[in-house]
Amino acid sequence: MATERQKPSSEEVKADLFEDDDEFEEFEIDQVCEDLAEQNEGEEINQQWEDDWDDDDVNDDFSVKLRKELDSEAKST
Amino acid sequence: MAAYISMGEAHRRITEYLTRFSDAISSQDGKSLSRLLSVSSDSAALLSLADALNTFQDANRVIRQSERFSQYGDILLHVFRALQSYRLKNLAESYMAFEKASNAIIQEFRNWETAWALEALYVIAYEIRILAERADMELASKGKTPEKLKGAGSFLMKVFGVLAGKGPKRVGALYVTCQLFKIYFKLGTVHLCRSVIRSIETARIFDFEEFPVRDKVTYMYYTGRLEVYNENFLAADHKLSYALTYCSTEKEANIRMILKYLVPVKLSIGIFPKASLLEKFNLNEYKDVVLALKRGDLRLLRHALEEHEDRFLRSGVYLVLEKLELQVYQRLVKKIYIMQKERDPNRAHQIKLDVIVKTLRWLDIDMDVDEVECIMAILIYKNLMKGYFAHKSKVVVLSKQDPFPKLNGKPVNA
Repeated sequence: MATERQKPSSEEVKADLFEDDDEFEEFEIDQVCEDLAEQNEGEEINQQWEDDWDDDDVNDDFSVKLRKELDSEAKST
Repeated sequence: MAAYISMGEAHRRITEYLTRFSDAISSQDGKSLSRLLSVSSDSAALLSLADALNTFQDANRVIRQSERFSQYGDILLHVFRALQSYRLKNLAESYMAFEKASNAIIQEFRNWETAWALEALYVIAYEIRILAERADMELASKGKTPEKLKGAGSFLMKVFGVLAGKGPKRVGALYVTCQLFKIYFKLGTVHLCRSVIRSIETARIFDFEEFPVRDKVTYMYYTGRLEVYNENFLAADHKLSYALTYCSTEKEANIRMILKYLVPVKLSIGIFPKASLLEKFNLNEYKDVVLALKRGDLRLLRHALEEHEDRFLRSGVYLVLEKLELQVYQRLVKKIYIMQKERDPNRAHQIKLDVIVKTLRWLDIDMDVDEVECIMAILIYKNLMKGYFAHKSKVVVLSKQDPFPKLNGKPVNA
């Protein structure tokens, strides 16, 4: 067909478009996932976040090096 | 190759299928009907039926023999063609026949008053997508234009229309929506999601919570991804968190996919995943990003973005992560502030721009005083830092009260 002939050059682009790396897997049609155990698990996974980590901690490796750097700057000026 | 089948045996298998089909409809057995339509399931029963059809050739005659079968002739004839072509690996033909069969089933479905056949309709929606995908791979490999998946999208819109109205069938609309999302995301035509979303979310006749959990999870995952692309981080957080809470724990791959988008969203509103979470779901690409944020290590952030650039660009979270730079600057200046305070509490709230320039140089980042001043201005403007400039003396004077406000789950000011 004419339309097929016209765009062989776009084939590669197209093949690339036909891609979603993160396509969700199908759940089983008759799956019931509302039971309590799974709910709890869901709650648990939502506790895996911290919005208040120790923000003032300056004793990690990076901070130790940074302090050294700042100290030497302070001395030289 | 298929084993030799006698004509008698072929006839027997075909009649058996026809009987099951008409029994499933007359007894309103959605599950049995759905099994009879699962073309791509490669079930032994359907494969042996396909062999029988390819041996017998004239199944049409058997269908017409009895009124029980011939009343569904439109469906059965095309289902048989779909099965035969599928068996012979003519996937484009199989898709086209299956679409015709599905169309005929939908006509019947419209007239059935109850929703007993929903499960069969789910299988149709699924098969339409899967067969179209495979047909397109076949077409592309033959140098032809792959267009079946696009066609599948149009067809499923029609199915959606049949379900989306009032009544007991509406509960199935979200499943079809999710199949449509998968098609649109694959084809890169996500703007087409909008009209379906509007129809789902504005309907007053049906509460979203009444849809099946598995469909709600899938729906929230895809609409959450759309919110990430549109940089609506609060909406993205809400939708992806919903998907995470209710996703079946047996589907680890799905949980990982949700987190792939939820982690950058949470980071953008100042919330960090615990190391154990990244560990458990193998999201190592985010480890250094989180560490960079906690340290205030700009070099590490840039390095992490560069290292996984490909992956971040493909999933579309690169821009979200790039914007974390401001939070890293905030953290770095805060550290300088804390350390100055240790040395001389009285002058800690005055930070020389020159000190920041030198600190950045120590991190191999080359910026002059003007550039740094510009970054500090942005931090103040975005309320990541409170204070003002003493422009002449090149000093940032920090507010004595809460000089580095936390985001506390809110996005950085636009």
